[in-house]
Amino acid sequence: MSEIYQQPLFGIFITLLVFQLSQIIARKWKFVLFNPVLLSVVSIIGFLLLFNIDFEAYNVGGQYLGFLLGPTVVALGVLFYEKYEQIKLNLLPFVASVVIGGTISVLSVCLLAMLLGASEPIIRSLAPKSVTTPIALEIAKIIGGLPYIAAGIVIAVGIFGNAFGPGILRILGIRNKNAIGAALGTAAHGIGTARALDEGKLAGAYGGLAMCINGLLTALITPYLLELILPMV
Amino acid sequence: MLKGVLYIFLFLLIGEVIVSLCNLPIAGNIVGMVAIFIALKTKVIKLKDVKPASDQFIKYMVLFFIPYGVGLMTFYDMLKMHWVAIVVSTVLSTILTLYVTGIVLQKFGKDE
Repeated sequence: MSEIYQQPLFGIFITLLVFQLSQIIARKWKFVLFNPVLLSVVSIIGFLLLFNIDFEAYNVGGQYLGFLLGPTVVALGVLFYEKYEQIKLNLLPFVASVVIGGTISVLSVCLLAMLLGASEPIIRSLAPKSVTTPIALEIAKIIGGLPYIAAGIVIAVGIFGNAFGPGILRILGIRNKNAIGAALGTAAHGIGTARALDEGKLAGAYGGLAMCINGLLTALITPYLLELILPMV
Repeated sequence: MLKGVLYIFLFLLIGEVIVSLCNLPIAGNIVGMVAIFIALKTKVIKLKDVKPASDQFIKYMVLFFIPYGVGLMTFYDMLKMHWVAIVVSTVLSTILTLYVTGIVLQKFGKDE
């Protein structure tokens, strides 16, 4: 029986199955924590622990799905091109808002984690917390963070932004829909952008584009920002 | 569709080659993302050729990162030790990022 776990088929099949079920549950019950990704991750971890299967055995197949994140990043370039046409009018203030927000995201999370006594590998894994998962993974690998922790945090940030982002922004006095879209895409990447689409198509376009720009920005600046901050530990 | 997949893998390859030739401190797929944007903007490739494939990749993106989320289980001890720092810094920083991005665009953006 244990040989089945060692085949790529196992990891791929269980991921597809659980994801399909999670989507059905998420569609049926509209509840913040019933996010398909969160449900899938928690259920698969539960399953592996229950049957005492190592992550490595699961990942024999899982890595094939993970590999597809590489081409997905390239596909984001196509999305970027499409959305770019829609926001030309506001290009300068929009890019400025994403660049300022994205820089503050990296700086604030690293400084706060340092103040709270997190270890260096944790700080390095937190740095790309606001950018889309495939890009965050690449950043984490390059700056010496732990890709799995980075991925988990990024997913959690996305779900947080999706669930509470619009409410927090309204309390803080941000009512402009384009600004809400840009803020969700910058702070909470694709999962946040999904919520920006509820505010309207244009807000969704702002979110998608903000996600792309912040991904690129964070990939370019994070290694240098960390060199600046980490000697302060 | 197949043409689009081919283009996407071609630009991924171009990105990886550029990174390894120039020794850049950035991932090949990110360079590929910029390269395909430039190719579309300069009309070297057509949107209708890549869009069917790129839309599918983006649609199923969340499925592809599930294995990385599951990988969190291997870091249980480390997370247990640092969870307060992680949760507090992440939540505060996310609220700050939301606010700063939103206020800049609200103040200086034009309404369409």
